[in-house]
Amino acid sequence: MKMRYGITLLFAVTVLMVWPVKAHCENEILIGLIPEENIFNQMDRYRPLAAYLSKKIETPVRFTILSRYGDVMDRFVSRKMDGAFFGVFTGVLAMEKIDAVPVARAVNLDGSSTVQSYIFVRNNSGIHDVEGMKGKRITFVDRATVTGYLYALSYLKEFGVSDPESYFMEVSFTGSHGSTIYAVLDGRADVGTVKSKIYQLLVAKDSTIKEELMIIARSQEFPDTTLFLRKDIPETLLSRIKAALFNMEKDPEGITVLKKLEAQKFIEAKKKDFASFYDVARKAGITVKTYKYK
Amino acid sequence: MSLRPGGLAVIVVTLLVVLISLPVQGLAAENTIGVIMTGDIPYYQDLHNAFMARLGQSGPLSKTEVILQKPYPDDISLSNAARKLIAMDVDAIVAYGAPAAIAVVKERTKIPLVYAAVYEPLVPEVKKRNSTGVYVRLSISSLLRYLRSLNQINTLGVVYSSHEEDSVYQFSELTKLATQYGMKIDGINLKRYQDAEAKLAGRKMDAVLLTGSSVAHMAMGQIIEYAREKKIPYASFFLCTDGHAIVSLAASPNSQGEKIAEKVQKILDGVPPDKIRSEAASNIELIFNMKEATALGMKLSMELVTEATRLIK
Repeated sequence: MKMRYGITLLFAVTVLMVWPVKAHCENEILIGLIPEENIFNQMDRYRPLAAYLSKKIETPVRFTILSRYGDVMDRFVSRKMDGAFFGVFTGVLAMEKIDAVPVARAVNLDGSSTVQSYIFVRNNSGIHDVEGMKGKRITFVDRATVTGYLYALSYLKEFGVSDPESYFMEVSFTGSHGSTIYAVLDGRADVGTVKSKIYQLLVAKDSTIKEELMIIARSQEFPDTTLFLRKDIPETLLSRIKAALFNMEKDPEGITVLKKLEAQKFIEAKKKDFASFYDVARKAGITVKTYKYK
Repeated sequence: MSLRPGGLAVIVVTLLVVLISLPVQGLAAENTIGVIMTGDIPYYQDLHNAFMARLGQSGPLSKTEVILQKPYPDDISLSNAARKLIAMDVDAIVAYGAPAAIAVVKERTKIPLVYAAVYEPLVPEVKKRNSTGVYVRLSISSLLRYLRSLNQINTLGVVYSSHEEDSVYQFSELTKLATQYGMKIDGINLKRYQDAEAKLAGRKMDAVLLTGSSVAHMAMGQIIEYAREKKIPYASFFLCTDGHAIVSLAASPNSQGEKIAEKVQKILDGVPPDKIRSEAASNIELIFNMKEATALGMKLSMELVTEATRLIK
């Protein structure tokens, strides 16, 4: 009888332990990707990582593009996602709104794991400063990005521009960092603001881009795209994911995946890495809780 | 006081003349605007239609006579068109394209000039005290970048006209860029559009790029035929409503037409042209002709498709 009671109790405890995992991770782990560059290129770069993680943690891992920055949190919850590679702003949102936990961040090929925001123009535009931007067309990435919007907002405010809509002839949002660069290159916009990493990626692919564009302002450093996971992800699963990511550079198969990602390795990410965000948010005059980013 | 029969007849005739001439005086145009197109191509026709429509909206069209000149895009024809409008002492001259605007400036007239579709590097040549307008800032390297993504290009055919300053400038820029990309440029100087077929024959090119030359665009049909036969991509700096290139990067003619109509209106209202800001065309379109690319056996990458402002399917 005691034995039967013990088995029942053990079964109940096991079910309770596994329950949260079953809720989300029963068949697969779903990880979201914030659109940074052209989404097809981005998916191409990340796909091998999904296959690698699936193999290492013995659970299928699937990546999906979160089509719009502004909907990220809603989609994260509604699609019962287990994690996402977030940028700075969406990372802070995830920490503040859904208690997501920063887990890992890639180290770029140049050894950096941080990014900046660049405000840039065509070098023949005649624009050298904020005064020269008056009456021109500015294009941002999305309201829910620091490198593609909020930093530029704080920079403009510093130079006395508190209402971009009235200062510029046209204000637009492209939806991705890569598209912002092409919009300025083509002459479809006069001023753009993007994440330094994507800018450098495109310049590396085509050196003429560097000759055509001029960076007017550079922000402080922000943490680069970071993998966040749900706060209730089972500890065992979290450990397996971390082990897989943090040992990739020692594994030949992992090295191939890192190469595709254009990264050296993954390092641990922490909440305090995001402190620089709050400085920009203050200068831009926004608070995460009240900011309408959609 | 008696009236002689002859005297009555004189009065009646005078009255009749006055009555007949009165309505004519009432309907006579208060202003005359001369318009010169750099060649008769759909792009400038669209620009002109937008100009006329906006002029109509702002009211003065009923009081304004618009004299449209469509000279062949060569120095003599453009100069003759400018001289004709100057001799007519029009109130303002509107010029579409750098060659037409430059032809007006060369005549050293004091008549206000409003230009549109002038390629930005040539603005110093048309920016005078009595001129204002809309210029176009287009990236040659962008168009080349998009074209290169469609085909491996070792030799790029560039269609230009030595009669058209903007196309000569673009040809020279492309030649500089080609060195960086390790490409050869095969320049096709087209002075008469009728010569296109003969000029293209026997050439070996991996892609064709049409500069902002009106002559090149008047030969669009022949160029398309050649590209289709060779199965090579072709790109253009104009939006050709009669035959879309596989890639087009151009300023919208409609928004330019509207902007210059507003500038002309200000001039007619007495504002000196140097007090009216010249500005860059703001509505730049990047169009991919998916239908044509597919017909030529090319596949537009999704990366390109997502950048397009318009897709032709």
